Amino acid sequence: MMSELKDCPPLKYYDFKPVEHVKVCPRYTAVLGRSEDDGIGIEELDTLQLELETLLSSASRRLRALEEQRQILTDWQDKKGDKRFLNLGKGTDLSASSRLKLKKQKLDGKGSHGPGPGRPKSKNIQPKLPEYETSEEPQDPPRNPKNDAPNRFWASVEPYCADITNEEIRVLEELLKPPDDEAEYYKIPALGKHYSQRWAQEDLLEEQREGARANDKKKSLMGPLSELDAKDVDALLKKSESQHDPPEDGCPFGPLTQRLLQALVEENIISPMEDSPIPDICGKDGGNDGAGTSPRSQGKSFSVPHTRSLEARIKEELISQGLLDSEERPGAGGDSEDEILAELHKRQAELKALSAHNRSRKQELLRLAKEEMRKQELRQRVRVSDNEVMEGFRRIMAARQKKRTPTKKEKDQAWKALKEREGILKLLDG
Amino acid sequence: MSADTKIAELLTELHQLIRQTQEERSRSEHNLLNIQKTHERMQTENKTSPYYRTKLRGLYTTAKADAEAECSILRHSLDKIAEIKSLLEERRIAAKMSGIYNENDPPRKTMRRGVLMTLLQQSAMTLPLWIGKPGDSPPPLCGATPASSDYVAKQGDKVAARVKAMDGDEQWILAEVVSYSHSTNKYEVDDIDEEGKERHTLSRRRIIPLPQWKANPETDPEALFSKEQLVLALYPQTTCFYRALIHTPPHRPQDDYSVLFEDTSYADGYSPPLNVAQRYVVACKENKKK
Repeated sequence: MMSELKDCPPLKYYDFKPVEHVKVCPRYTAVLGRSEDDGIGIEELDTLQLELETLLSSASRRLRALEEQRQILTDWQDKKGDKRFLNLGKGTDLSASSRLKLKKQKLDGKGSHGPGPGRPKSKNIQPKLPEYETSEEPQDPPRNPKNDAPNRFWASVEPYCADITNEEIRVLEELLKPPDDEAEYYKIPALGKHYSQRWAQEDLLEEQREGARANDKKKSLMGPLSELDAKDVDALLKKSESQHDPPEDGCPFGPLTQRLLQALVEENIISPMEDSPIPDICGKDGGNDGAGTSPRSQGKSFSVPHTRSLEARIKEELISQGLLDSEERPGAGGDSEDEILAELHKRQAELKALSAHNRSRKQELLRLAKEEMRKQELRQRVRVSDNEVMEGFRRIMAARQKKRTPTKKEKDQAWKALKEREGILKLLDG
Repeated sequence: MSADTKIAELLTELHQLIRQTQEERSRSEHNLLNIQKTHERMQTENKTSPYYRTKLRGLYTTAKADAEAECSILRHSLDKIAEIKSLLEERRIAAKMSGIYNENDPPRKTMRRGVLMTLLQQSAMTLPLWIGKPGDSPPPLCGATPASSDYVAKQGDKVAARVKAMDGDEQWILAEVVSYSHSTNKYEVDDIDEEGKERHTLSRRRIIPLPQWKANPETDPEALFSKEQLVLALYPQTTCFYRALIHTPPHRPQDDYSVLFEDTSYADGYSPPLNVAQRYVVACKENKKK
């Protein structure tokens, strides 16, 4: 019989009962019967308080129960015929009746516990209760947050389960295009000047500026001399630039040639020869120049043909004699000394590997997404055909209810819908 | 005396409120009866037609509004009672301070112990019951809910106070707050048992305010101490708190806790279950055994 019962009825019945104040709240009843003049005595306050608390307790429980039942009714109306709500209704019935039992006990208990009506020494200290009203809040809000939690949860999950859209495919394709600035990362910038040269140059410029300042002061006295200074600095600058290139560093011969020559002639011949030209040149330049300029001017005067082929020839010869490792000099040897270049190569290789990996993942993702799109389409069709099947079913059921056999057309339609659905499902599984 | 006039006025107001309460209740009675009848009819017919559903929903809505109004006026009445009681309390404190006692309030010096015990019991019984609206959670000092950390007990409030007795032992006694100094963070309290006639000055760590509301076991069981929890409870027929374990929490609003006091004179170290009112059970902070 329970299954047939509606959701809420007995609850109301129970909550109605405690209102019988005549039995339960004698002091309250007595006060009601009094005229205004008789009033209430101070000694009655304690008893009255207990009785009013009983009434309030009952009323607030009724309030809760009513709200609960009303909610059940509303929910039920929203999803009528839903069996779960019938069960829910039953559940509350049970809890309500158990609550009733409690209430009865409480009321019975109250009778024995309650202080006798005439107990007069009510000088009990009652702390003040100023916040009865203010501590209360409107009772509706709590219900909303309760329902909100699952919604928020599903909203947070939604992005991970949602259908894939064309928009997302397009973003993926966009990502697959190589970025425009890719080449930028594989460029190796030209080698700059060595720091020692750059510093030397900067020092020179510095000195030049200072010198210019000093010259400004003595300009009137030594006009021509300051001009000479400027020329001098220019020359120095040029020299430091050209120093960078070894074969032209004052000597037209290649490094191997020079080394060989040095090894051969070191002892006697060179020194007397060098002794004589240096003072000579110094004298020529008037002693104004730094010593550094002299070898250069000397080198420039040489002009020896075939130095390059000589260098190559010497190298070949040295290698064939076994005095030189054939691969010592070129390419790799020079690079290995350049740590920055090596690091650059390493990072670029890493970048290449990483972007290749990323590209392959993106391609895989795109492939999966496209496949999923296809499945989505199929699922959409399954839903449509689900509806068709249900439609057919409803028609046939309607026919049965009217006690007539379904027409051929209805049957055919139902079969067609069923077969179509099966076909799509097969496609989906395959 | 103006306080008397005020109290008389409040009593008249209370009387009116109680009448209004009854009016409110009679008014909703009809509707409740209607609901009951509808329920019965629905049960006999064993099905729910849309007509009944709509009707019932209307009835519920009305009944709910009625219940809200009834609750509101009942709260109002209870507030009024609390107000009167607090006025009486003020008067009692004032009298106590000035050392004058009126005839309603016989000198406590001569109060016999039995009378004091009765008073304490009565005070526990009439500790207001906290009944929140749906969704409200119990306030501080309701049942086991502790006071906020910056709470300061008011003059006349009952507290558990840890004092040093003559023999040097520490004891938790039932006391009444005389004053609180914000500069020293110390309370001045009176031993409730005036045979001792002692006034103590104690730091706030040694004071535990007693609950100001009873928690309703039917609606807010979480605001009660639970079984096996360690508490300080007033030993029956004394004015001292002792460590105890909760044996059973109350089941109904007027019920007491049943507690097991730590007592070495029993084989298992605990006394048989004794009843202590909600008002005289507070959380025990210290963990070390004495």
